[in-house]
Order: sequence, then structure tokens, then C-alpha cells
Amino acid sequence: MKKSSIPSIIYTVLIFAFLYLPIGVLILYSFNSSDSTGVMEGFSFKWYKELFTDSATLTALRNTLVLAILSSVISTIIGTAAAYGISKMSNKHLKNATMSVTQIPMINPEIVTGISMMLLFVFVGGMIGSSTSLGFGTVLIAHITFNLPYVILLVLPKFKEMDKNLPEAARDLGCTPFQSFFKVELPAIMPGIVAGFIMAFTLSLDDFVISYFTTGSGFETLPIRIYSMTKKRVTPDMYALSTLIFVTILVLLLLSNLSNDKNKKEMSKRAKKVAKIAGGTAFGGIIIATIVLICVSAGTRSVTLNVYNWGEYISDGGEGSYNVNAEFEKWYEEDYYERTGEKIDVRINYTTYASNEDLYAKLKSGAGGYDVIIPSDYMLEKLKIEGLIQPLGSVSTIKEAIPNLEYLNPQFEEMFVYPNEKGELELYGAMYTYGVVGIVYNADKLAPEDLEKIEKGEMGWELIYGQEYMEKYKGQILQFNNSRDAFGTAMYHLGYNVNTATVDQWEEAYRLLQSQKPYVQGYVMDEIYNKMEGGEAAIAAYYAGDCLAMMENNESLGFFYPSKNNGTLFETNIFADAMCIPTGSQNKELALSYINFMLSEDAAVANAEYIYYSSPYDHVKENLDYQLYMGLYDYVYVLDENGEYILDENGEPLIVLDENGDPVYELTEDGGDYAVIYYSDFESSLKIMFDSYAYKDLDTAQGANITTSGLNDYWESLKVDSTSFGSSVYIVCAVILAVIIVIFVVYFVRKRRQRRYYWNNTSDPKPLPQVSVGADSDPLSETITLAAIRAQEKKQDANKEEHIKPDEVKKGPQIKTIRTDKRTTVILPADKIIKG
Amino acid sequence: MNKKGTLLRQAAAYPHIVWSLLFIIAPLIFVAYYAFTDKEGNFTFDNISAMAEPSYLEVFLRSLCFAFLATVICLVIAYPVAYFISKTSPKMQKILIMLVTLPQWLNFLIRTYSWMALLEDTGIINSLLVSIGLDPIHMINTPFAVILGMVYNFLPYMIIPLHSVMAKIDVRLLEAASDLGCNQFQVMTRVVLPLSKSGIISGITMVFVPSISTFYISQKLGGGNFDLIGDTIERQFQTAYNYNLGAAMSFVLMILIIISMAVMNKYSDDDGGVIV
Repeated sequence: MKKSSIPSIIYTVLIFAFLYLPIGVLILYSFNSSDSTGVMEGFSFKWYKELFTDSATLTALRNTLVLAILSSVISTIIGTAAAYGISKMSNKHLKNATMSVTQIPMINPEIVTGISMMLLFVFVGGMIGSSTSLGFGTVLIAHITFNLPYVILLVLPKFKEMDKNLPEAARDLGCTPFQSFFKVELPAIMPGIVAGFIMAFTLSLDDFVISYFTTGSGFETLPIRIYSMTKKRVTPDMYALSTLIFVTILVLLLLSNLSNDKNKKEMSKRAKKVAKIAGGTAFGGIIIATIVLICVSAGTRSVTLNVYNWGEYISDGGEGSYNVNAEFEKWYEEDYYERTGEKIDVRINYTTYASNEDLYAKLKSGAGGYDVIIPSDYMLEKLKIEGLIQPLGSVSTIKEAIPNLEYLNPQFEEMFVYPNEKGELELYGAMYTYGVVGIVYNADKLAPEDLEKIEKGEMGWELIYGQEYMEKYKGQILQFNNSRDAFGTAMYHLGYNVNTATVDQWEEAYRLLQSQKPYVQGYVMDEIYNKMEGGEAAIAAYYAGDCLAMMENNESLGFFYPSKNNGTLFETNIFADAMCIPTGSQNKELALSYINFMLSEDAAVANAEYIYYSSPYDHVKENLDYQLYMGLYDYVYVLDENGEYILDENGEPLIVLDENGDPVYELTEDGGDYAVIYYSDFESSLKIMFDSYAYKDLDTAQGANITTSGLNDYWESLKVDSTSFGSSVYIVCAVILAVIIVIFVVYFVRKRRQRRYYWNNTSDPKPLPQVSVGADSDPLSETITLAAIRAQEKKQDANKEEHIKPDEVKKGPQIKTIRTDKRTTVILPADKIIKG
Repeated sequence: MNKKGTLLRQAAAYPHIVWSLLFIIAPLIFVAYYAFTDKEGNFTFDNISAMAEPSYLEVFLRSLCFAFLATVICLVIAYPVAYFISKTSPKMQKILIMLVTLPQWLNFLIRTYSWMALLEDTGIINSLLVSIGLDPIHMINTPFAVILGMVYNFLPYMIIPLHSVMAKIDVRLLEAASDLGCNQFQVMTRVVLPLSKSGIISGITMVFVPSISTFYISQKLGGGNFDLIGDTIERQFQTAYNYNLGAAMSFVLMILIIISMAVMNKYSDDDGGVIV
């Protein structure tokens, strides 16, 4: 064979570099000790360590693998049987119909497959009155469905390629049909089955879209988990996990490739047989192990608590922190044993969502079965109105069920309390966190006069909404990709009360957002972290706690609350997330003790430190560990004569201890930037702010004459609104399309002319027929092409029905035309074909 | 073979047929049902006619253009690669194809995230450009970035079908062609290209369909500025709760794809005569 030329090697290497570039990047980030992709800090294995303590991620990984194995095994079995059946079908219409239907999931966009199945499951679930119509079963069905066509289309050709006489010969020699299938046909189609299995496995492993729409309570795959990290950031242990997966697969595939080669050369027949059996056993072992695993997990007597929370919204044991869920399981089991003397196995099934809207969509679409959910204020209201959550209990008695509520700061006591029909007050949500929207900015990118204004506390929302500022910082502003906060902040800029605003006022906010669109760099959620930290954008509105987390990674970042009236009242949106129990919960008692546990000092402090949002609980705010963590207090360090820290043997600075051996601490100079941002400044106005957060009471129609769904429509038109973006794309598109059309027109016109020429000259076989592939060429190369086609057709013969039209054959005695499904081919008499 | 035996063997396909009816056909009926009804379940054309609004038309047009460009670029890039791979030794082919598929094993959300880090103004590529003294190029949040994301994610779906067709081409045909006076280019256009037509068509399908319906790539690499059909459908189901409109969009998208497929199959089926 000819050696490949150097340019083509370089080209291929470049394409491979393109394919592996992002993988190189994620491997790089997995070793970066910073948690931001915008900042490189140094080499570290910390994310790998983190990964193995992150039980939720490991569970998601296990789920993904179980799902991939099960769905690919089942679809391989059904698919192989189907391919066998289809290959034996004699009724052509049935065969064609089956094949067309089979191909639908391949041709259909994933998103259509996903939503169509979701609609079916929700409908059927509603019909049989099940509260949990979505879950593991539905994801499995969906995966099998989209895997099947790939298996069938990879196995079917093997049946067709197989010599049809083989099974017959086998039966002539005394095989039963069964034996002939397993001894003769199965080995012949094995490569197809293996290819189909691997294909199905890969597809299932990587699928996000279909799982996203069809999954329900308690079943989270890895892609869904990653997607739900979109309010907070994607944690770098995901990069570590990806790196590990990548390396494992690379090694496995290389090994199998190398060993395969050796097998062929060196192994004796017997060794091959042994290898085959070993392979078969390993494969069977995996299947049995999976089935056993599922049976065992289904068979263990245990109570499961389904918790559905925001991504990255609980202290999960990473970096030596408190693992709230694991501690609860342990605590409850012990407590239950003490109370009743019986053993119980509690398992928390912890899954995550990306936004309030995701949560609502899941609850609404019938994915019941959740026991604890954590919606934000306006969503809690909406859920309550629609009867999707139940009261935790009556206000007068709730402290018996959730004793830790006594630490709730009095100013929050009225939150989420609603009267029932009897006028009795009921609590619907136990507050988890709250936070305020502010503006984070990059001091390096702002003009000095604007910085001064911010410092003086005179800057308001005009920094992102004022025409002058938008022009100044064009393309540097990040906007919320969520309607509530985008609308809310726009309303604050306009100076309207978000609570009593009229349709006109909301519409004005919509027009403001619309006019802002050309100046905005992007509509983002979690990407804001990396973009602000990396200096990609200058200004963004986001939640206070998250902004503080960003400031830790980039010292140029600053944060302020927009206030027009010299800081007397913060004009910004506020949110509160609360723990609720959905109506369909099977385990209210357990859910209540989970909520109580979440509010216990250890867990609440760990969560507050992890999430970085403000805590409404006094025992958290007054916790010394928390205050130290937040920078309100700091230890007193031992200093040498130059004022430098003295390090101990672990490299940690030495701390001054008092006579009891306890560390001495003091109020930090700036009084704790964090504490200021978090608590002190808006303490007095908190109640006022909570009285009028965006979207409050909109759906109960008190004073407001627009509903949240009306606002969703505005948001919808903002998002689809055509802007000047991408006009160059249309031009390029049109040009390419025009070129393609021209090529085809020329091609077909030419071909047609040639064809006419040919048919006009059939009486004289001398001028060689010009067919689809060639034009004005020398006869010989034409012949080659024809030979090539014939060779190809011969190969494909098995796949195609041939109809020889007798009249066409008559026309030219030496040349016959074969009409196949795909193309008309002219076949020359044998003596004209040069044998390759 | 006797008839009874054939029927019996055919029965092996029945589980699949039943499965298809339940989980392929029935869900599609639901999509159609939602597309043609309003929230109360009354028959209506409103959802479909909403597609004719300029803003939605633009979304469709934009998605079509992006997907079209991504497909063309994939084809142009992948063709030489697939050809090159098919010319290597069988062992090498196996390894190279494996290397093409390997990135697919990693989660595509994560890979898209990596591209974000690469393409940003202060990202890896621009930092490199600046460090060698060139001007940075603005890439993120542009149509270019979205199309690049599509090309990256779906390129293997183009290379693999092309390669599997090319690998089957008899090398002797190519040798004969060049022996008989064809130059490299003629060998490509006259022999390889016609013979790889089926690979081209399945490659186009496998790239175009996911490109036109993607919704994550445009959000992350386009900064939410370029709403594609996938984004719009996703929003109907996840945030706007307008199942009917979402179903109508899916329905139209489906029809659009079926038409494109039919057109493509038409000219690949037909020997000429009909122009696209």
C-alpha cells in the first residue's frame, strides 16, 4: 500500500488534537487546586480525594452504570431477537413497517423522544392514579427504547451477510433449530451483537436529554447531577471523575486491542476456547452481579427518604466537612433503636435540581414520591396554592415536631405561615437560608468615578440598567438567566414596587430588559462564577453569598447592594428557601425529623458554611466556629519580631492560647466583611424586604393584575426575541446552500444529458455508457467506475430487492439495467469489465 | 423453508414490535395530541399557528442555519480523516476509530464546560495568543462558538459512518483507477465519493438531527443569546409550563426533520431527473 502523505498525517493529528483539546483541559482542571476554572492556583490531588467522599456523586455514578448495563443488556436481547425475526420476515410490508418504526428514535431529535415519553408516562401515571409516575423504571424504558434501533441496525446486516445455507446444513446434519441457532447462527452474528451492546452502553452512559425528561424521584444519573449544579458551580471533582473514567477506558480499550491481536497469532485453539469461556463468564458475571445488586437493594428492608434539593446546597462531607445526610442516617437509626428497640435502616435518596422551575416541572409532571423539597419563597407560594405541598403542622404545635425551630430569629416567624379554612395558622416551610441580590463588579474594569460612586453608596441598579452605563460597559454585563431575578431587579431599577406593580409596569420592565439585551454579554447562572473570577465580565447581579465565594478567588472583585436613598433602604430582591413536605410524601414523620436535624446546630452551621448564604437561625449566627469561618472573628496569632507568623510543624501559623489551652480570638479589623454583607446592614429592613419580594402574591391576585405565567410569557418573548446576532451566519449559510445547489444542478443536468445520449445510442454498444459517477472522461476510467459500482452492488445485493425490468433488458442485448432501491446501475457485459 | 417455521421465527421480532408500539408510536401520538389541543383539551390550531410568529420563525431559521453549517463543516472536516483512517492497517484503524469514539464516553456537559474555559476572552486560547504577542479574538457567546460546540460534539458521528463505508471499498479499485490514469483527485471524486454516498448520508443525518435540537450547547457557549429550537422546547416544559406549545414545536421540528430526510433520500434514491 502507498504510504500516507505527510500533510494528511498532520491533518489527522490536528483533528485528533481538536477532539482531545477539551479533555486535556478538564484533566488540567482536575489537578488545579482552585475551584474556579478562571484561576489556576497550583497542582493538587484534592479533587480526587474529594470525589471519593462525595457520596451523592458516587451514587449517581452507580445509578448511571446500573442503568447503562441494564438497558444495554435488555435492548441487546430484544434487539437481537428482533433482528432475527425481521431477517426471517416474508411479508415485505410488515418488514418495511417494522424497520421504519424502528428507525424513529434514531431520526427523532432526543428532545422530542424525551418529551414524548414523558407525556406518555405522565398520562399513564395519571390514569392508574399513581403518585410517582416517573422514576427509575421510566428512565430504563426510555433508554431501552432509544438503544433498540442501534442494536437492531448493527445486528441485522450480520444475519444478511451470513450464508443462508449454514443453518440449513446444520439442520441437515442433525441439529435442532435451537442448536443451529446457538451453534451456527449466533457465532456468525456475534460481532454485530457485541458492537450493538457497546453502542447501546455508550449511548446510555452519555445520555442526558432523555433521562432529564423521564426521570423522577430518587433516581439521579451523573449527567443530571452535573446539570443541576447550575445555580452553584460545577465542582472540580467532576473533572477528576471524568479524568478517571477517561483513563480507565483508554487503558481497557488499549489492552483489549493489544490482547486481541496476540490472541490471533499466538493462541492455540484450546486457549482461544478458554478465553472465550472466560469472556463469556465475565460478561455473564456482570449481568448477574447487576441483577443481584438490584434485587438486594430492592429486597433490603429499609426506609427511604427522598430529598430533592438544589445542586450543591448541602454540606456533603467534602474537604473534611460535616456530611449532613450520612450523619442523619446514623443519628436516626440510633435514635429509633433507643426509642423502640427495633432496628431500622434509613437511606436518604438525595437528588438535585437546577432551578425552582425545574422542581415545579417535576412535581407537576407527576414525579411524586419526594419527602423533602427546598423551594424558594415565590415557588413555595405557588406550590401551596396548587396543593402540591402540605403544611408541616399548626404553628402552635410545630415546635414539638421540629424543636430546633425555636432558634429561628423572631423576624422570620411569620414567613410561610398561612391560615387554613378554620383560621388556624399553619407553617408550610421551615426556613433554610435566605439571601439578597446584589451587584458584583471587577474593580479593574470599572471607571474610577463609578468605583467612587459605589464606595459612597450612591450607586444603584443603573450600573446594569442605565443607558449610559450599559453603553460604557457593553458586552461586560452578565444578566440572570432566570425570569424572576431579571424582572425583579429591573423593577427595582424602575422604582416600582414588585409586589403591587401593574401590567404596565411589568411591561416597562420587559422593555427595559429588551433594550438591555444588546449590551449583555450573556444570560448566565452558574457560569457567572468562572466568568467573574476569570475577569471575563465586569458587572453582574447575583446572590450575595455566591458573590462572596467569587471574591475569595479574585481579589479585584467587589460587591455592593444597590441603594438609591443613601443606603437607608436596600432596593433589591431578596429570597428565602424553605424546607417543605410535598403532598404525596409517604413518610411525613421521618421528613419532619430530617428537617429538624437539618436545623440542629452542627448541621445548620455546616450547611451555612458550605452554602455561603445567610442563615435565619440565631444558633448559627452566634456559633463561634461559624463566626470564625465567616471572618467576623479571627484567632490571635503568635508573631515573630518582624511581624511574621510563626509556623508549627504542620505549616500552620501558631495561635495564642489562653490559660485553659483554648485559642484566643478577637474581632477582626473590618468587623468581618462577610458579617457586614450578610447580616448587620439590612437587619432593620429585612422585614420590609420580605414583604415585597418579586413575584410575591402574584398568583393570589391581591392587588396584582398579572400572574407569574403572564411574566413567563414576557420572559419567553425576551428570550426568543430576534436580535441582530448572527446575521453573518445567515449569509454564510445562504452562500453555502447556493453553492451546493449549483453543484447539484450542474451534476444532474450533466447526468441527464449523458443518460439521454446513452439511450439514444443503445443500438451501438461502442460508445461506453456514461453513468451516475462519471463525466466526459476516458472510457477506461469509466469502466473502472462501473466495475466499482458492480462490486459494491454485489456486496449490497443481499440488502436489496432486485427487479429486472424485462423491456429494459431487451433494449440492449449486451447491457442490462438493474433497478435497485438505491440507484439505477448499468452493468456491462463481462468482457468489458477489467478484473480488479 | 416451511411456512410454519418462518412464522415461528418471525415471532422473535414480536417483543420488539410490541415495544415499539408502546414506547415509540404511543408517545408520538401524545405529542400530536398535545400539539393540537389547548390547555383544556379542546382541539385547536393555535399552537401550530404560533410557530408562524416572526420570533419563532427566526428561532427555527436560526436553528436550521446553525445545524446546517455544523453539518457541512463536520462533513468537510471528517471526510479526509475518515479516508485517512481507512487507508491505515486494520489494527491501526481499530485504534484510531476507538480514539475517535473515546471522547464520547465523557459527559458532554463537562466537555462543553471545557470549551467555555477554552474560548473565553480571558480563556486558555486567548491567553496563549496574547502570550505570543497576538491580539485576542472574541469567540465565546458568538455563533461561531455555538457551531464549534456542535461540530465538536457531533464530529465522531460523521467520521464513523464515513469510515465504515470507506473501509469496505476494495483497495484494488483505487489502484486500478490510478493505474489507468486517474490522478488522486479523480480517484477521490470518481471512485471514493460515489462509493461512500451511503456513509455521507447517514453521517449527515447523525450530525444534523442532534445539532438542530441541541439545547445545552447554545446556552453555555452562546451565552443564552441564541435561542435555538431545543432551548425553546425545553423552556416550554421546564419553565413556561406550556406543554401544548412545546409539543407543537416538537411536532413541527419532527416534520421538518422528516422532510429533510425525505429530500435527502429522494435524491440519493433517484438516479437523476429530480433536483433536490
